[in-house]
Amino acid sequence: MRFLIYRYHPEKDQKPYMQAFELDGLDKNKMLRDALLLIKKQDESFTFRHSCGEGVCGSDALNINGTNGLACITPLSSLKEPVEVRPLPGMPVIRDLVVDMAQFYKHYREVKPYLVVTDPEPEVEFKQSPEERSKLDGLYECILCGCCTTACPSFWWNPEKFRGPAALLQAYRFLADSRDQAHDKRLEELDGPYRMFRCHTIMNCVNVCPKGLNPTEAIHNIKRMMMKDVV
Amino acid sequence: MSWRAQGLRTWLLQRLTAIYMALYLLLALLVLYSHPVTGFTAWHDLFHQPVINIATIFMFASIFYHAWVGVRDILVDYVQPQPLRFMILTLVSILLLALMLWVVFLMFGVLQG
Repeated sequence: MRFLIYRYHPEKDQKPYMQAFELDGLDKNKMLRDALLLIKKQDESFTFRHSCGEGVCGSDALNINGTNGLACITPLSSLKEPVEVRPLPGMPVIRDLVVDMAQFYKHYREVKPYLVVTDPEPEVEFKQSPEERSKLDGLYECILCGCCTTACPSFWWNPEKFRGPAALLQAYRFLADSRDQAHDKRLEELDGPYRMFRCHTIMNCVNVCPKGLNPTEAIHNIKRMMMKDVV
Repeated sequence: MSWRAQGLRTWLLQRLTAIYMALYLLLALLVLYSHPVTGFTAWHDLFHQPVINIATIFMFASIFYHAWVGVRDILVDYVQPQPLRFMILTLVSILLLALMLWVVFLMFGVLQG
């Protein structure tokens, strides 16, 4: 099976280049991550992030044949040859397929991804009805791999100002939580022309999410919440 | 969250103007279908009615506001140098305001004539 891998070593290379690799007798039922590990055996200078190998940690988010996805859950049989593997688009490349996610995490921190409670905390535990809990389904599953945010043109054009689909999905995850008490503050923080309203419902985020989540819907729900507060 | 919230207001007004334009267009097609405008006098009589006249002014105001938000969105995404973006935005706003004044001038002219 033929592969074209993005290579870049900032201290050695003038600019990035695509390197061809050939793997013989590859089991097509295996995942792309397995192939990348074999490539690393051929050329030990090749670098990429990976960890759990089963789509839980979100470390090996890559641009595979032009679409963002996790290498560990992308079967080789689903890929057209030569398989072009590049780092996530729109992010500074540290080396080969490793990108600097600092901006992504900064936006994540900005939405305060934790419960904000002003009342005295309950003595035993927060109670939540099954209905209230079900509102968090489709939100809490995010693994922060960055596939969605780096597939979003609005994020490419305004990476410092637009929060991006992943952070906005988390913003809604806490807005939808019955235990959270920072509702107004969270909404106010998302107003303005950039932070959320740069989203033009392009829906690349929905297309690429390896967990099948829907950030566009979450953004829509945040707008609905804002509308409810105004009307 | 207040009505003055900038991002929300712009987003909401863009949608409201879109709804208004769609409704106006539908009604305009119905009116023109049932009362075909055959010449200047027919056109004049139609727009001489205050309801249609004012509704038309609002229609063009909606188009221009909608266009303003859309063009601004495109410029914010694709024109990154601030001075250039500011210059284009100024030109677009002058153009849209001039067109709006022209529409008001025309419509008031029909109303009085």
